[in-house]
Amino acid sequence: MDRNGILDELVRELTSLPGIGRKTAQRLAFHILKQPSEDAERLIRTIRAVKEKLGLCRQCRNIAEGELCDICRDPTRDATRVVVVEDVTTLHALERTGGYKGLYHVLAGALSPLDGVGPADIRTQDLVDRIAQSKVEEVIVATSPTIEGEATAIYLSRLIKPFGIRISRIACGVPVGMDLEYADEVTLIKSLDGRREI
Amino acid sequence: MSLLKTPAVVLKSRKWGDADRIVTFFTLKHGKVRGVARGARRMKSRFGSSLEPFVHCDLVLFEKPGDTLYRISQTDIRHAFPSIRTSLEAITGAARLANLAGAVTADGDAVPRVFQALLEGLRAVGESGDPVLTAALYELEILRFAGYLPHLDRCNACQQRTNGGTWFFSPRAGGTVCSACVRQEPVRCPSVSPACLAFFRQALRMELALLPRLKPTAAIRNELYDVIELYVECVAGRRMPRTHGVTGEERVPGRSGWAGGKVAEKRPVYRSRAAAHV
Repeated sequence: MDRNGILDELVRELTSLPGIGRKTAQRLAFHILKQPSEDAERLIRTIRAVKEKLGLCRQCRNIAEGELCDICRDPTRDATRVVVVEDVTTLHALERTGGYKGLYHVLAGALSPLDGVGPADIRTQDLVDRIAQSKVEEVIVATSPTIEGEATAIYLSRLIKPFGIRISRIACGVPVGMDLEYADEVTLIKSLDGRREI
Repeated sequence: MSLLKTPAVVLKSRKWGDADRIVTFFTLKHGKVRGVARGARRMKSRFGSSLEPFVHCDLVLFEKPGDTLYRISQTDIRHAFPSIRTSLEAITGAARLANLAGAVTADGDAVPRVFQALLEGLRAVGESGDPVLTAALYELEILRFAGYLPHLDRCNACQQRTNGGTWFFSPRAGGTVCSACVRQEPVRCPSVSPACLAFFRQALRMELALLPRLKPTAAIRNELYDVIELYVECVAGRRMPRTHGVTGEERVPGRSGWAGGKVAEKRPVYRSRAAAHV
């Protein structure tokens, strides 16, 4: 492998991607080598286009082609509700459900007192400015049910409450399909706290 | 392949790979250890919430040959301290305690009394009406049991007794220094009022369980936080994560009455043997 300079360089580049070790990188490199030139060109064009054309949405910080993302541009979306998420991957997980028709706001992570990550690091002021300038009536905090996610949710509730709009937190509790006897005590307490009338 | 079974407190937990976590524990029998929990971030992970920071659990780890990290095999929650998760002040207080316990102890170095002080501190922070102060007082307890108890009854340079006058806190000297000796200090030291000194001494004399009863004034509180923060950073040998911004806690920046820091240009020699391991 070491004797093939360019191929070795490709393997090195592929190894730098998350979740790809040397073996996988070698397999991918050989696959690219064996592919017809047009297929490889298409891959190169797509990677270049992603880097050149994609940026962050001016309004919600989702990935966007242009100033606004597809979700913010969609006039059928309910602009009075905003779900706040920690990162873009969570936004896409929620979008996959197809059950939510409002808008989103993507933070730059979650507050972490353990690591010294503060409100300025996750750009909470952007959300406050957005609420002040738009007709948002409800903010749903969909941060992870981890200690960082909880800290972020509590902090956001303090920031947003003065606006007099509704602020809610997604429910936490027992996952669908799980046996209750195997749930741990924190999860059970959370699910009891978040119970609803039937 | 050795198996470790011990009570432990989760100090820190961070994402690793697609669905794993690397978790730092402070254990009763083996001190600070790190382990990988495979699949811990998946919805139906067997670890559930037991790897969340500040959870007290029974931990089973095993060593994998050729791997520097332990594998986390099993965790059973003893106390989850759910009340900590309901308040931002309690979360930041607990974070300060966890960071301190991690900073003042070396990997694999069991210090049972620090473990007990950390547990007691987490419980107290969760139940306290003033978690920021409670955390600061338990920081002193952790420092005490880690062997870094500050000496406040005399000048730590010339050994003169503290009777009236202006006194300063030198983190390098590990306690108070008089106004003459503070000029020889290589780093700037905050002044400590007699009231703050009295409060400090009282806090260090009291039993752990009674600490939350202490109610200092805002001025003493500010002095106390300044001194503890400075001392903790000196002992840890590094800058600790800041938490004031998260809670919106009122602090007085650049409080007057600092002295020293004029003699030596070189960095002070920190006393922490644990610093290299953190």
